Amino acid sequence: MTDAPIRRRWDPLVKLTHWSVAFALLANALFTEGGSSAHVWIGYALAGILALRLLWGLVGPEEARFRAFPPSPARAVAHVREIAAGKTTAHRSHNPLGALMVYAIWGTMLVIIGTGIGMAGLPSGYGADERPAIAAGMQAGEESGEAADGEREEGPLTEVHEAAANLLYALILLHIGGVVFESRRQRRNLALAMLPGGR
Amino acid sequence: MVSERKERLHRKAAMMAIVVALQALAAGLFLIDFMADVASEGWTGHLIAEGAAATALVVAVIVGAVQVRDLIEQARQDNLAVALARRVVADLIRLRFAEWRLTAAEADVALFAIKGADVAEIARLRGAAEGTVRAQLTRIYAKAGVSSHSALVAQFLEDLIDPDLAVAGAAVSAGPA
Repeated sequence: MTDAPIRRRWDPLVKLTHWSVAFALLANALFTEGGSSAHVWIGYALAGILALRLLWGLVGPEEARFRAFPPSPARAVAHVREIAAGKTTAHRSHNPLGALMVYAIWGTMLVIIGTGIGMAGLPSGYGADERPAIAAGMQAGEESGEAADGEREEGPLTEVHEAAANLLYALILLHIGGVVFESRRQRRNLALAMLPGGR
Repeated sequence: MVSERKERLHRKAAMMAIVVALQALAAGLFLIDFMADVASEGWTGHLIAEGAAATALVVAVIVGAVQVRDLIEQARQDNLAVALARRVVADLIRLRFAEWRLTAAEADVALFAIKGADVAEIARLRGAAEGTVRAQLTRIYAKAGVSSHSALVAQFLEDLIDPDLAVAGAAVSAGPA
């Protein structure tokens, strides 16, 4: 941001998608049973919200667009040097490290969504009796691995889905840590820009 | 006025963003349902209609997103216009004051006068006697070549108002409707 004194908040759509994604992830990480229909439906909703945010990256206001925060390792390195030198530059959009984080989180979520759809199938693709079979298979798979759907649950999709989810938790912790670190460094609360209300 | 309009635009943008997000959710679920149906039943006339509806919903999401973006840009444009105007007026005032060779005290008094303060208010704000302020104002008027408070203000407005605006305004009020 060249006009540094103007402190801008994120636009309403960025805020809305950010918190929707956060709540969906929280719900599926902590409260829903993997493979349950609630878990699957929240996953589909997450896919819709992520798609909207990606669309916003093409048509949204300047600082929400992809071109405002290109994934550039060179810039990230320059940013790290700046941190080491104790300098701060204001950025209109995500700072270069934050940008890498954003793409990492989006990429991981796409993997999770892709493998999730691969496992659950399309929502009405399986009949009423097949749906419990997934949950049953999941449980049976965990216990004995002998259910009809057992190998599907234990297959590479599940492993990738879970590994990606664990990676995502790590990324989220890093993301929160990054916000705290950068807020202290710049002596202004960056999280405020993501809170509802204001301009 | 401007900030009220800005607030209204921001509120509208936020509401629209919620609507667009709900639409995106609906479009996503609709599309997934459609693809699942096609996968299990193949293409039927009913599904073609459903597919067209799902596509229309996706288009609506895109159009909605563009509209939200426009609302946000509009609100920011308002901000920018006010900020720019403020800078221009400040420049103009500085320029005129220099041109009229006002002293520092006179410039202070003149600024209050332009903002609409009367003699009593200026005296209170500056902690000076009303007589002093009146004398300063007289000198300011003389240097600016005007004879009244309103004429002093008009000196600035005259430079700021686009001469074409008056003509356009007349045309609008004279036109039908």
